[in-house]
Amino acid sequence: MKKNRYIIPALLSAMLMATGCDNRLDVQPTQSIDENVALGTSRDVEVTLIGCYDGLQDVDVYGGAFQYASELLGNSDELGFGGTFQNLLEMYNKEMTTNNATATTTWRDSYVAINRCNNVLSALDIVDEDKRARIEGEARFIRGSIYFDLVRLYAKTWGDGDNASNPGVPLVLKPTRGVTDADKIPRNAVAEVYAQVLEDLTKAKSLLPESNTIYATKYAASAQLSRVYLMQGNYAAARDEANEVITSEAFSLNPTFESLFFTFLDNGGANPEEYIFSMIVTQQDGTNDMNTFFGTTISAIPGTAGRGDIRVLAKHRGLYETGDKRGAFFVTTNNTFTRKHLDKFGNVLQFRLAEMYLTRAEANLRLNSQTGATPLADLNLIRTRAGLKAATTVTIESVLKERHLELAFEGHTLHDLKRTRQNVGALPYNSPKLIMPIPQREMDVNKQLVQNQGYN
Amino acid sequence: MRRIFPLMLLAWLACWLPVAAQGVRITGKVTTSDDASPLPGASVQLKGTNVGTQTDSEGSYAIEVPSANSVLVFSFVGMVAQEIAVANQSTIDVKLSSDVRSLSEVVVTGYGSQIKRDVTGNIAQVKGTEIQNMPVASVDAAIQGRAAGVYVNSGTGKLGQAINVRVRGNSSISASSQPLYVVDGMPVTTADLSNNGGSTNPLSDINSNDIESIEILKDASAGAIYGSRAANGVVLITTKRGKAGKTNVSLNYQLGSSEATRRVKFLNADEYVKFYTMAANNRDRIDGTDTQDPDSYTQYMLGAGGFLEYYSLGTYNTPQQQNYSWQDQAFQKGPMQQLDLQVNGGSEKTKFFLSGQYLDQTGTLVGNKLERISGRMNLDHQAYKWLQVGLSMGLARTVNRRLPGDNAFSNPLQMAALTPLTPFTDPKTGLPTGTPPGDVNVPLYFNPMISINYAKFEATSFRNLTNAYAQINILPELKFRSELGIDLLNQNEEGYYQSQNVRNVSTASSGLGNNYATFVTNYNTNNFFSYDKTLGLHGIGATLGMSYQQSQRKLSFVEGTQFPSDSYKKIASAATKSDGSTSETNFRFLSYFLRMNYKFADKYLLSASARIDGSSRFGVNSRYGFFPSASLGWVVTEEGFLKNNNVLSFLKLRGSYGSTGNSEIGDFPQLGLFAGDAGYAGSAGQRPSQIGNPNLKWETTRQADFGIDFGLFNNRINGEIDYYVKKTNGLLLEVNVPATSGFSVQYANVGKLENKGFEFVLNTQNTVGAFRWTTSLNVANNKNKVTDIQGQVIEGGIRSMSRVMEGQPVGVFYTVEYAGVDRANGNALFYKNTPNPDGTVDRSTVTNSGYNSAQRVVAGNPNPKFVGGITNTFSYKGIDLSVFFNGVSGNKINFYGVGQYSSANGIYEDNQTADQMNAWTPENPDTDVPEARFYRGNGNQASTRYIFNGSYLRLRSITLGYNLPTELVRRIKMEKVRVYVSALNLATFTNYKGWDPEVNTDDLSEKDSKFALGNDFYTAPQPRTLLVGINVGF
Repeated sequence: MKKNRYIIPALLSAMLMATGCDNRLDVQPTQSIDENVALGTSRDVEVTLIGCYDGLQDVDVYGGAFQYASELLGNSDELGFGGTFQNLLEMYNKEMTTNNATATTTWRDSYVAINRCNNVLSALDIVDEDKRARIEGEARFIRGSIYFDLVRLYAKTWGDGDNASNPGVPLVLKPTRGVTDADKIPRNAVAEVYAQVLEDLTKAKSLLPESNTIYATKYAASAQLSRVYLMQGNYAAARDEANEVITSEAFSLNPTFESLFFTFLDNGGANPEEYIFSMIVTQQDGTNDMNTFFGTTISAIPGTAGRGDIRVLAKHRGLYETGDKRGAFFVTTNNTFTRKHLDKFGNVLQFRLAEMYLTRAEANLRLNSQTGATPLADLNLIRTRAGLKAATTVTIESVLKERHLELAFEGHTLHDLKRTRQNVGALPYNSPKLIMPIPQREMDVNKQLVQNQGYN
Repeated sequence: MRRIFPLMLLAWLACWLPVAAQGVRITGKVTTSDDASPLPGASVQLKGTNVGTQTDSEGSYAIEVPSANSVLVFSFVGMVAQEIAVANQSTIDVKLSSDVRSLSEVVVTGYGSQIKRDVTGNIAQVKGTEIQNMPVASVDAAIQGRAAGVYVNSGTGKLGQAINVRVRGNSSISASSQPLYVVDGMPVTTADLSNNGGSTNPLSDINSNDIESIEILKDASAGAIYGSRAANGVVLITTKRGKAGKTNVSLNYQLGSSEATRRVKFLNADEYVKFYTMAANNRDRIDGTDTQDPDSYTQYMLGAGGFLEYYSLGTYNTPQQQNYSWQDQAFQKGPMQQLDLQVNGGSEKTKFFLSGQYLDQTGTLVGNKLERISGRMNLDHQAYKWLQVGLSMGLARTVNRRLPGDNAFSNPLQMAALTPLTPFTDPKTGLPTGTPPGDVNVPLYFNPMISINYAKFEATSFRNLTNAYAQINILPELKFRSELGIDLLNQNEEGYYQSQNVRNVSTASSGLGNNYATFVTNYNTNNFFSYDKTLGLHGIGATLGMSYQQSQRKLSFVEGTQFPSDSYKKIASAATKSDGSTSETNFRFLSYFLRMNYKFADKYLLSASARIDGSSRFGVNSRYGFFPSASLGWVVTEEGFLKNNNVLSFLKLRGSYGSTGNSEIGDFPQLGLFAGDAGYAGSAGQRPSQIGNPNLKWETTRQADFGIDFGLFNNRINGEIDYYVKKTNGLLLEVNVPATSGFSVQYANVGKLENKGFEFVLNTQNTVGAFRWTTSLNVANNKNKVTDIQGQVIEGGIRSMSRVMEGQPVGVFYTVEYAGVDRANGNALFYKNTPNPDGTVDRSTVTNSGYNSAQRVVAGNPNPKFVGGITNTFSYKGIDLSVFFNGVSGNKINFYGVGQYSSANGIYEDNQTADQMNAWTPENPDTDVPEARFYRGNGNQASTRYIFNGSYLRLRSITLGYNLPTELVRRIKMEKVRVYVSALNLATFTNYKGWDPEVNTDDLSEKDSKFALGNDFYTAPQPRTLLVGINVGF
């Protein structure tokens, strides 16, 4: 018994001090996996592609920020702002600071999504052959789309000076595995970014199928291309892309304007026939930030929500002709809000067929052509659906006004003004105040970047 | 309470065993040796038994002892006890001398203990008695101001929330700077486990009244035995243990009430109307809009159907218009009560300590409440001469009815921002304004009273902290001790939002319930040999052993919506299970440690220690770290030339140097990872989530400490002076990377920082004898400086105003310098502060449109320069009084979280702080408040305008107690009856204009909360608590 006092400690210490414990320190995470095993099978690449959509859907990317930035920066007294988000107020007042939260997170989250696309595009060789084209097409669609929206928000407008020397945004086309000084890259020229956008989108268009459930299709790529060409003033190409979408008959105009929205509350989450591409929001996943800021809680319509920050002023409401159903598509508490974004779980609309008609009309008119239909016919399709009388004449101004009213609060305002060289209030289209600053955080961490004019 | 009291009574009866003694009768008198004044209430006990008595008011006593061989023990609190053999005396008079914070006291060190006079490191001790019965929920809050160099900021007045503790400054930037907490030898779980904004504090599961002592290991010599976990200091908590002899029962009950310490003055209804009329008029003037234009801001505010009419529920400009002070609704008087029972005793073979506590505390903000029931059982048993076994077990159940994080519309203090014309109650419904079926869009923001009335978020945690040990005496000088500890923390957070909350929680239109279950299982074992031997003048001590810790945290979560009605509150009734998740994370540590102490002639002291630590958190290339330290001490007063010096009774010089580490960086920071949480529209997706770094390792802190311990006049005055230099390198930084990489940050060992400072501790016995007055003072100064972060820009906090930059302390405020108001037009002005070509700084000013061109400057340090506390205790006869002040100075607070909305010249409709009435007007050109401009930034941009001095001095606690006279107490067969009144935070002296200068908003991201301190965001002020209590011992 007494020997125990020697034996027990000896045994215990021998046991515990043995190096056998060392392997106990090899603990692997349970929720994440090592990057070296993450892309091993076709299925791995397919789920990474889903991750690309998840990245695109981020509230600061296609979940709302690109669109409300365009509406707020492009607004001149048609919208009111009454919220405490300083980043939005700064855009509204056109007095952005380099720490603006939207400028910072939209930049960051866009590149997060781009890196996911680059991961997919780098691993195409392990994708099952029957899926490979589609997967490449979707990843390229997402990457090209984001680069396009970045370059038109953070850089000078196409054609404002020399596209070949105006700084655009940095082009990153390979997945990141480690970060070194080589990852501190300068801004590519506006022309280079547009070239990459066109390469990605044209490839995407050729690779994508005509229908692809909720994911990107050939026509989504075409619709995006029509916007890129329109921004570049390449009206013929814009017209042809829009025409291709229209004539495919894959989509049709909704019979009524009102039925275009409330995809969750009225339509169980499904898109109307007119939608070409949208970000899908469900109760579990995704947030509609257009709803967050344009929407508000209306007791009479259960399921509505929003901060009610962005209001519609009388100046805008006065633009509608009498009888225009769109002019009544508002709801008033003590402020007036658009009904387009009241649905909390509504999908975030990106492209719809009406835009294609209006793009085709404008391009045909500018080119004096009649591809697909006459500009007047296209214009009147939109007008009559809104409950208006058909117009008898058509001008560039009347098409642009129709576009402004039909696509109001959908993210077109700033870019339409810029490409048509119109003022925003007293500011000329190329005012530095209408361009986002390169985020201070990026300037600090990457000395290769040059800041936009007016932010130094 | 009502249910518990009979149980207490039962316990009381069961423990009451009257003792009758026969034999020799001894009488005498007990006096003090200082001035021979009688000592009433001194204990006279027959050694080795529980037979004893107390002296009366004249210091006299009488006791029967069994024989002439008996030994009597005379003792009194604060005096040195004496043992006297009875022999053939019948009168024994005793003089007791003062026991000045005795140098023979034992302090707990890592894996052992040491006599204070032999300690060569820096260890601060806080006795359990000092923090006893403080009405704060957690022990970290209780030690505030008690130990030099330990800066405690309770952050918010919400109950049971996380608290910032810094031992000798911030030692890290991206890793935690909180100390390691070790309870009875076991590192415990302290991390925030909140899932509902704010933060939880697992230390609030520990009953402070169970604590015998708290030791804070501050220098490298003391801390190195905790190796990679000691760079932020180590807090060793030792719980009370049983003592052989008479069974002592102590029952304590206290009852009190709390109220918020301070409020901020906001505009009343008339001022609000006046102010916003001005702001809207000004904006219209700037826009060139006619104030009668229906789209003008003036009409928006004042016109028919305008803002004021709408938000006053139509009472604006009518006789029904009234002033509603919304801020007042946020506060309440919070009652509290606490009942404690402690029993300790035992035989030489088996000793026990048992305790139970019931704490019921209501917060000073509406809706906040904490309730805790805890029990403890500590046992020590001498199984054989060579084997001792024991157990400490603490159990607690804490129910915290929590409040949302500061940055939530439902945070009650955000009511301060609501329009003072908006009625509290909607007359149409009789319900809080904004409650359906009334208009939910009133008031201006979601009404937090709806959340208080119709939502609930309750965290219930069960904590089991158990530590068992066996100790084997192999040889008289060699022991082996094995400890096995388990720390189980199960927390359930249950939330339910009734449909009325729809404006705040839009998915709650038919009710929303959520439930989070967190399980933290933390095992630890320590196994070590210790050796102690005195050979003539040589004293040798050694400790050698290992420890292993493994911790696992699991979380599961479910959320449901679509409830049949608000009567159904459990997710079982939710038609849509709208969300759910589970997750898990693990970490492990394997460590070996060694310590050697050598002492020669009680004069020369030498100590060395080292630890090897391995951790699962680090890269395969650098999994183990080595942390050595050495220290020396020289007791100068043992030398011939100072021995028996009348003035200098004790002097010890000591110095230490060594390294410690920090590994509190979360789990798996070293791996390159993909995460599977990137699903879209119901399809599964994955994404790259983290960039790897296989070389990632500990932060290493090298610290040198020089100290002097001194005693004067027979140690009536004693103290410590320390100077330290603490240099940290290989900082575990979340290094910013260009976002174009698809990532924001990467963990890397980059950069260095240092902390240097002085600490000064002084304890004096100002008077001795019947009237006793002692003072205990501690002051510390710390200078923190980031010396190298290789150009990284690290910023965060409110509007990224907190920054880490080279040459500055961690987390300095960095913002544009406000230059006041342009007399001519009311524009806000900012100093440009850009460098001129000649190297000078451009001090010209710009206005709002030039704000971007102004260079940001360092605008203050959130870390105080000086932190200190002073306690004075007085006692006379049965009366005792303790007065404790603590304070900080030299720190700044960022008020921008509130100011950007509420001291913002009316940029939004938020109610404004009263000082905004002083805004510029042509008639009032000399002001520092710019012209009010509605929805137009004029000086509300981030700037030094919102950085305020955070110094304060606070009467942290004051307690007045009275011990009932002994005869009276004895007559009711008790040993002690003490009644007391006590107050916490009775007075605060500060120039801070916010609610409370002791502030740290609870709603920053985890990353920011590491360095972005001193931010106010409608953060709850500390409570002022008044208490009465009674303590009964028998």
